[in-house]
Order: sequence, then structure tokens, then C-alpha cells
Amino acid sequence: MRTPMLGVAIGMALADSSIVTLALPDVLREFDVGITTVAWVLTSFNLVLAVLAVPAAYVARRRPWEAYVAGALVFAAASLACGSAPSFEVLVGARCVQAAGAALIVTAALDLLSETLRSPERAFRVWITAGILGAALGPAAGGVLTQVLGWRSIFLLQVPVAIVVLIALRGLEAQPLPAPAGRPHLTANLALLLVSGGLVAALFLIVLLLVDGWSMSPAAAGLVVTVMPAAAIAVSRFRPKMGVVTEIASGVILVSGGLAALAFMPRAGWAWTIPPQLLVGAGLGLALAGLTEIALRGRADQVVHGGWTIAARHAGVVLGLVLLAPVLTTALEESREEAIRAGAAVVLDSGIAPLDKLGLAQDVLDEVDRAKGVGELPRVGAVFEGRPDEDEWRSLASALQDQLNRAVTSAFSRPFLLAALLALAALVPIAFMRRRTA
Amino acid sequence: MRRALPLLVALGLVAAVVLPYLALGGASFEPTPVADPCQVRDWRDPGDVDEVLEQIALSALDGAACVLGVSREDLVLAVRSEESLDAFAEEHGISRDDAEQAVRDGLLRAVEDAEGAGAIGGIVATLARRTVESVPPWLVIETLESLSRFLP
Repeated sequence: MRTPMLGVAIGMALADSSIVTLALPDVLREFDVGITTVAWVLTSFNLVLAVLAVPAAYVARRRPWEAYVAGALVFAAASLACGSAPSFEVLVGARCVQAAGAALIVTAALDLLSETLRSPERAFRVWITAGILGAALGPAAGGVLTQVLGWRSIFLLQVPVAIVVLIALRGLEAQPLPAPAGRPHLTANLALLLVSGGLVAALFLIVLLLVDGWSMSPAAAGLVVTVMPAAAIAVSRFRPKMGVVTEIASGVILVSGGLAALAFMPRAGWAWTIPPQLLVGAGLGLALAGLTEIALRGRADQVVHGGWTIAARHAGVVLGLVLLAPVLTTALEESREEAIRAGAAVVLDSGIAPLDKLGLAQDVLDEVDRAKGVGELPRVGAVFEGRPDEDEWRSLASALQDQLNRAVTSAFSRPFLLAALLALAALVPIAFMRRRTA
Repeated sequence: MRRALPLLVALGLVAAVVLPYLALGGASFEPTPVADPCQVRDWRDPGDVDEVLEQIALSALDGAACVLGVSREDLVLAVRSEESLDAFAEEHGISRDDAEQAVRDGLLRAVEDAEGAGAIGGIVATLARRTVESVPPWLVIETLESLSRFLP
């Protein structure tokens, strides 16, 4: 019972790195901040987690249980503060404190898992699997909660979970680790950073594309993106026998190839994301597990080196956010202009009456302006409400939706491609790793 | 070779997804580029007078856009409000004289296109050409502006 509870705690703490992705438009509206500013709700958490993971690991190796308790209480209190934040500044501040709690929970949990499972090897497997599941399911879970209960519920629901897990774990003891931690594995952690930077596109952008771009409900999008963690778990459970460096390199090729496939989707629609997600998920299972294994292997102190892997992964997430967010914003702006022009051509060439064309064109442009003001994509359906239910109008609505889909999908293509290159760059440190292990 | 096999399998899997996506047009799934306004469009067989007038108007737009070096769609989007029209004029460095000349050239081309497509007869075309040449373009623009107030 204690092992699954620790898995829940790790998954929840790491899910927070991406869980608010789909809540950002609501947060933006409520606090009346800009798109670049609202991204700090994500960036602050990942930045603080990257910076504090190693110091937290040093605390956790000396007093694992106490570190866990402190982490869980800080995390719960900060989640409560996030969920009831009266201003944007308080929300970002509370997210930083939440990340500090998460750093203690995740690093201490690795030591506590060694105690409950009585095997550092099995502890590491559960730790990495829970982390991958949490990070991959975070955006979808956050989207469903935002849709059903509002964005604040994402944080408020974490409070009882953190407390219940803490109560379930009470009495758990782990021995402090006396051996010196030693130096971190540089190439493995650098490769982790680069792969994680690329994975930002898979974890954040796919959900944004499905929900905000293609108008899927968060619940349906959540179901679609479970393909990726499912593939990751399947591959890490049934890993083919091969050298660990070969396994990592194969994983990086799959992640990078899957991201490139997302950049070249020939149509809009969730089904087109499935084959790329399978590639990314399989690559994620091979690369993250293999890299974390190398970073920890042969090192007496798993907790500190686990802390280094968390620091590398979340520094990678910050790098990915910093690089990809402006690329997406610029591409969306450019595509918006192209889509407006293409939409105007569709309306002018349509078979509806000339005066209807002028009225419709005005309504389309008003919807484009409204959507831009609230950081959303225009809804074609809203423009056609109350219009005649005739073939010409229906085909016009469908042609406009097609142009919008084309614009959105092509805007996401550039960040997906950049993410693929970022992940592919991980092959450089991996090549050095191969030389050292050869 | 045996060690490289997993890498080759990974590359094969990636190729099995990326290549079909590219073959299906994945590299060009983007908004349809707008047509060149300087190219004559196919003239639809008009069913009634409204459609003839609409096509003449669209052809005139094409002609004016061609003269100004912009797309027909850019021109339509520019006249949606005074602000957008000012921004458009500033962006393209267009003066009132340029606009008048563009409208005159656009209308002349529309008459030519309509005559070429057989939508209007030779006598009507000649009369229309004379009208465009003799009526000051500002009057055409102001008449259009006045008419636009009656639009929904």
C-alpha cells in the first residue's frame, strides 16, 4: 500500500510541472495578464524545481522521512495558496513554494521506495515510471479539472491527496545515507536536459493543439494523449535486450522522429497524432529510463543523483518553454494573417449572396478580434449560428474551418520541428557516453 | 552490425510514419495561398444580373489590387474600417491619387473581363468604359462609401 501511495505522491508532484497548461487561458482572463506573463505559472514551478532538486536531495539523504513530511506539508500549503490566490503575483509565488515542496517529496520518495521495496533497482523503476506517468498525464488531468470544476480545483484537490498520502505513509522509516554522493554523471544529465526540452512539445503542445487548436474537449484530449504514457510504460516493461547506450540512442531517435512527424501532419484531427505519439512514447520509455539508470548506476547515493536527474529534466523543461513559446506565438500570429486572407478568399468566392458575404466577412473578422483579445482561437461555429441551414452555407462553414485548421496545424509545425532538433541534439552527449562505456 | 540493429529499427519506425505523412502533403498543410490578382480568373456562367454585377465588382477588386501590388483579399480587409484603411495606406505608402488610379484601372479591367467572358455586349462595354474614364474616380469611391452605409 505504501509503494503505490509513494507513486501517487511522485506522480502528483511531477504532474504539477505541466498540469496547468490548459488552465492558462482561464488564469489569463481572471487576472488580466498577457500571454507571455501567464506562462510564468508553468515556468516558475519548473525553474524552482530545477534549482532546488539537488539541495533538496542532500536534505533528503540525511533525514528521508522528515524531508518527505516537510515536503508534503509545504506542497499542500502552497497548493492551497495557489487555489485561493487573490492575485497573479501570489499565484506565481505560491507555485515557487509548491515546487520547493515537490523537490523534497520526489527526492525523499526515492529513498523511501528503497525501504518499502527493499531493492534500490525496483525503487528506481517505480520512481521513474511514476514520474513519467505524472508528467505525461498532467496536462490532460488539468484540462478535465478546469473544464469540470474550474482552474482553482487543480490545486485545491491536491491538498487532500497530499495529506491522505502522508497519513498512509506514517511510521515509515528510512536510514540516512552515510556515503558521500560523488559527482553527477554529466553526459547523462545533459542528454536528459536536451530530451526533456524536446519533450515539452509532446507534453504541452499536443494538448494545446487538440483542445485550443482543434476544439476538442479537454476530457477527449486527455483520452487521446494517454497513448504516449501507455506506449512509454509498455516499452519500459518489455524492454528489448540491448546495451543501455544503444537503448537510449534508439529512444532519442524515436522521440525526435515522433516530434518531426507531428510537425508534418497532413490533416487536422486527433487520429493523426496517434502514430507520432506512439513513437514519442516508446522513445520516452527507452531514453528517460536508460538515461536515469546511467545517471544513478554505480553511485552509492541514489537520492542525490536522482535529484540531479530531476534538476536536469526540469531545466530542460524550462529551456523548452523558453525556446518554444515565442516560436509558437510568432507562428500563430503569422498563420492568423494567412488564415484571415485565405478565409476572405473563401467568402468572396462562395456562392452566397453578395450582401451576405459582406455581413459574414464582418462577423468573421469580429470573431477573430474577439478571440485574439482573450488569447483563444476563433470559433467558426459561433459565426454561423443563426445562418440559413443550406448547402452553400454549410460548405462555406466547412471551408472556413478547413482554413483555420490548416493555419493552426501549420503554426504548431515550427515548434514541433524545433523540439525534434532539441531532442536529437541529445545524441551528442550520448555519443560521448558510448565512447566512455565502450 | 548487431549493435546497430536497434538504431536501424528505430530509424525504420520513424520513416514508416514520417514518409507517408510527407507523401500525403504534410509539408504543405497550411492556409491556401490567395490567387494573384493580376491573373484573370475564370468567369462563372452568371445566372442573373446580381451575379454579373458581383463578378464585375470582384474583377474590379482584382484589377485595383493588381495595380496596388496587394492581394484582392488584403484590399477587402483594408476597407472594413477607417482604422484598417489608414493602416493599409500607411503600410503600402498609398495616397488618394494612387487609390483613384487603382479604382479606375480596376473598373476598366472588370469591364474588359466581363466583355471577354461574354457577360456584357460590346455596346454596353463601350459605354461602361466611357463612364469609367469620364467620371472622376473620387466620385466612384464616395458613391461606394455612401452605399456602404446602407450595408448591414
